[in-house]
Amino acid sequence: MRGKSGRCEETGGARVVVTFIEIFLIGIAAGVIGSILGLGGGIIIVPALTLGFDMSIRTAVAASTVSIIATSTGAAVAYLRDRLTNTRVAIWLEMGTSIGALSGALIAGFMNQRVLFVMFGLLLSSSAYNMFRTRKAEHAVQVVPDAVSRKLRLGGSYYDMALGQQVDYQVTRTIPGLIIMIFSGAAAGLLGIGAGIFKVPAMDQVMGMPFKASTATSNFMIGVTAASGAVVYFARGDVDPLVAGPVVLGVLLGAILGAKLMVRMKAAKIRLFFIPVLVYTAFHMFYRGVKWW
Amino acid sequence: MVRPGTEQEKGEVVAIELVLARLLRVGSVIAAALLAAGIVTMVLGLTALAPKLISAGLIVLMGTPVLRVIAAGIIFLKERDWYFALFSLVVLCAVAAGILLGSAA
Repeated sequence: MRGKSGRCEETGGARVVVTFIEIFLIGIAAGVIGSILGLGGGIIIVPALTLGFDMSIRTAVAASTVSIIATSTGAAVAYLRDRLTNTRVAIWLEMGTSIGALSGALIAGFMNQRVLFVMFGLLLSSSAYNMFRTRKAEHAVQVVPDAVSRKLRLGGSYYDMALGQQVDYQVTRTIPGLIIMIFSGAAAGLLGIGAGIFKVPAMDQVMGMPFKASTATSNFMIGVTAASGAVVYFARGDVDPLVAGPVVLGVLLGAILGAKLMVRMKAAKIRLFFIPVLVYTAFHMFYRGVKWW
Repeated sequence: MVRPGTEQEKGEVVAIELVLARLLRVGSVIAAALLAAGIVTMVLGLTALAPKLISAGLIVLMGTPVLRVIAAGIIFLKERDWYFALFSLVVLCAVAAGILLGSAA
């Protein structure tokens, strides 16, 4: 809105109100979708603000990064109460994402970013393929916990409202999961996203967690992944309060609503929404990796 | 999934999740109230006050996940769950380092 401020003053308060409402509604949509899928919602907010409102990428990414925290915080309350969030797994994996985000910021200047984008694209494509293969499964088949998972007592249990039954689960391949989180954190650090799109498949496909526990736990983690980025953008003055205010408020409310919906949805249905987002993001990563123009 | 000491373990898990849920709830309610107040003042034409209120709301929101990590760390320490207390500390240091590095750059 910075670029438009002149026009806003000319046309008066009505224009400001309309823009606020529009941005607010985009925030609500991003919050609902993000909280259900365990993502930050940046894939919605950044294009909407840059294409729909002529904002700079800088303003849009800064607003989006702050709103990732809103998605996470807004939805986490409900997910924690319903025991969908596995806090132990979250803290174990947050080590990977936060260290990854740090190294992402450090290597950004040295490493060829195209190589990284192609790697991200490959990782997401294989997740999409695996998720498509198992799209009908409500639960992973009996998972045998590995040594680290047993030692750290990572297994969990929640009551699934959609199935009307208690779901007890175990967690395995704890170390590979942590390694993927380092990549996910690097992607988040480089791209200014929450990178939930990497986290959900890592827990669901690799570590054998139930899909709903994976999205809820991813949702819980993205707030921490985004926190350092958000503070940095804020300190630099990239966060425009008049843009971020309505977006973030919308996202907060949307996330609270989305979390209420998600606990009653079946895993197979949520997966069905997740797969297209995964495929789209994989293509987007390849595109950024190979485009030469 | 039958494990020895399940009852006691469940008690711990319930406690930490409820504490964190309460913390996140308080954070999001305060942030939402400040943001809403800021947007209303903007619409009313108080253009000097509005950005301050909104910024305050955003600061509360950004502080919430960091506080959440600290709170989890303290709970793990109290429960003598040393591994997880250490993991929380690692996360906290990485976030702090990210903020320092990013601000210096």
